[in-house]
Amino acid sequence: MLTIALAKGRTADASIALWRDAGIPAPADLDEGRALMFELKSTAWGDLRYLLVKPVDVPTYVQFGVADVGVVGKDVLMEQEREVYELLDLGTAQCKLCVAGHPSEQDSPARKVATKYPRLTDAYFRSQGRAVEIVPLSGSIELAPVIGLTDRIFDLVQTGTTLKAHGLVVFDEVAEVSARLIANKSSYRTKRALVDRLTKVLGERLARSEGELV
Amino acid sequence: MSMRNHVADRPPGMRDVFPQRAGDRRRLENQLLEFFEAHGYDMVSSGSFEYVDTLLRGRSIHDSEDWIQIFDTTGRAVALRPDMTPSIARMAAPLLSAGRESVLWCYAEKVYHRTTDPASLSWLSGKAAESTQVGVECIGRGGREADVDILALCRRATDSLGLTEWQMVVSHAMFAPAFLVAVGTPESAVEALLGCLTKGDYVGFRRIAAEAGVSHDVLSWLQAQNPFSSQEMQVPDEIDWTASPAGERAVAAWDDLVSLAQELEERGLADGITFDLTLHRDLTYYTGIVFEVFAPGVGAPIALGGRYDDLLSYFGVSAPAVGFTFEIERALAAKDEGVWPTKPNQQSAREVP
Repeated sequence: MLTIALAKGRTADASIALWRDAGIPAPADLDEGRALMFELKSTAWGDLRYLLVKPVDVPTYVQFGVADVGVVGKDVLMEQEREVYELLDLGTAQCKLCVAGHPSEQDSPARKVATKYPRLTDAYFRSQGRAVEIVPLSGSIELAPVIGLTDRIFDLVQTGTTLKAHGLVVFDEVAEVSARLIANKSSYRTKRALVDRLTKVLGERLARSEGELV
Repeated sequence: MSMRNHVADRPPGMRDVFPQRAGDRRRLENQLLEFFEAHGYDMVSSGSFEYVDTLLRGRSIHDSEDWIQIFDTTGRAVALRPDMTPSIARMAAPLLSAGRESVLWCYAEKVYHRTTDPASLSWLSGKAAESTQVGVECIGRGGREADVDILALCRRATDSLGLTEWQMVVSHAMFAPAFLVAVGTPESAVEALLGCLTKGDYVGFRRIAAEAGVSHDVLSWLQAQNPFSSQEMQVPDEIDWTASPAGERAVAAWDDLVSLAQELEERGLADGITFDLTLHRDLTYYTGIVFEVFAPGVGAPIALGGRYDDLLSYFGVSAPAVGFTFEIERALAAKDEGVWPTKPNQQSAREVP
C-alpha cells in the first residue's frame, strides 16, 4: 500500500487532476463530505490511501513516514527544510513568493514584515542588507499592513486579487513556487518500485502537456 | 495547570528518557555491542570533547557548522564529537604506527550536533542534538574482501535486531563526482549538484543541471546504473571514459562496485541490498563504498557507514579503513514499527459530522 499526503486546497485540487490524467486512481471528489482519508483499491497500483492535511503539515506526515509520498508547495519545503526526497516538480499550483505592501510604503525602507514564512523572510531581507522585525502570523496576512501592524508582508501570491482587494501591491517577487512530489526517505528505499513508477508516470504526463503547449 | 515550569527546564534538544524506554535503549545498545564483540571487535571509549582541529582532519570546514564548539580553559577550540570516527582514528593511529596490522574496534557513545529542530522530531529524522551511536571501525584492511565483510556484518547486525523489511543502499563516494565531470557537466556546477544528491533534492538537481547547460538527463543516467545487472555502465551516449582523469576515476569506482556486487552474490548476501549511485554522503573523508540501511517507518537511515582510506594519514599513519554505525534511537523506533496497529480505524480517521 502507498499512502499519499495531499496539501488541502489548491495544491490538492490541481494535483488530483494531474493524477487522474496520468491514469493513477484518485478520489473522485475531495470536497465530498468531510473525509480526510480516502482509500482506493486498484489492480494496477494496489491499495492507495490519500490523506488530506494542512499544507504546512505535509512534510511532517512524510518525514515521519505515515505517508510514503506527499504533494506540497515548494514554499513549504523551502521554509521547513525537512529530510525528504524531492522527486518531481508537478508544475501545478504555481504561485510567487512576494514582498508586498501599501503603495505609499514602496520607497521607504522595510521595517516590520508580517509573514507565514519567518525563515525565508529573514533570509530574504538579510540578502538585501536589511534588518527587519518579523511578525509571524498564520493567516490573513494581508490585514497586517492594512491596520498598521507592519509595513510589508512576505507571502504567497497567486493572482494578486487578494492583494488588490486590500489595496496592496507587489514590491518584489522573491521566488516562483509550484507543487512538488516528495517522498519519505525510508519509503523511497523500501517501496522503490512503486515510488519510481509513480514518479515516472507523472513525469511522462507532464512532458506530454509541455509538448501540447509548444 | 501551568505549562511553564522553570525548575524543570532543560536545554534545547536534550531529551529525557523515562523508565522502560531508557531500559529498551540500553538493552539495544548492549545487544549490538555484544554482537560486534562476538565478531572480533573490541570495545573502546573516549571523552565527549575533541579538539576542533582533530575533528577537521580530512574534512571540509563546512562540516563544522553542525558542531557544538566551545573553548577549553587554555583557549583552544574544542567540540562535542559529531561522530566517533575521528576519535577512533586518533586512538588507533599510534598503534598502527607501532606496527599493529589492524585495529577492529566497536563503541557505544553519545554524539552531538547543533540543531534548531524540536528534539522529538529530529531523533527519527534529521539531526538530533544528542543521539546514541553503536558502531564499528575496521582499520588496516582495504579492498573488496573487507568491504564485503563489513556489509555482511552490518546486515547480520540489522537482522539480529529482529528487523525484517530493511533495505541497504550502497553507493561509492568517488563515483558521482567523477561521473558528472566525465559526462561533460561543467566543474563549476558539480558541487551544487552533489549537494542536491546529498539532500535528495532531485528537482533542484535537474534545475541546476539545466542552468549549467547540461543537455542530457544525467540524473536518470546515475539512477540507471546497477552493478548487479550489468558489468558495463549504461549510458545512452558514447562516452570516452579514458579521455579524462575524471572518466578514469569513474571507471575505477565502477569496477570496484561491479566486483563488490559479484562477491555479494557469490556469498549469498545480495538479498536486501540495492545499489543507488545517486546516494551521496556529505562527509568529505569517504573514499570508497558508502551505504545506508533503511527500515519502514523511520525517515532516516538506521545505520550508515563507508570506507575512508585517507583519514588515518591525517593522523600520521597510512591505513585503509571502513566502518559503520547504528543510530540507536532510530533503530529503536524501527523495532517499534509493527507493534502499533498498521491499519488505522476508518471511523476515527473521519471527522464527526
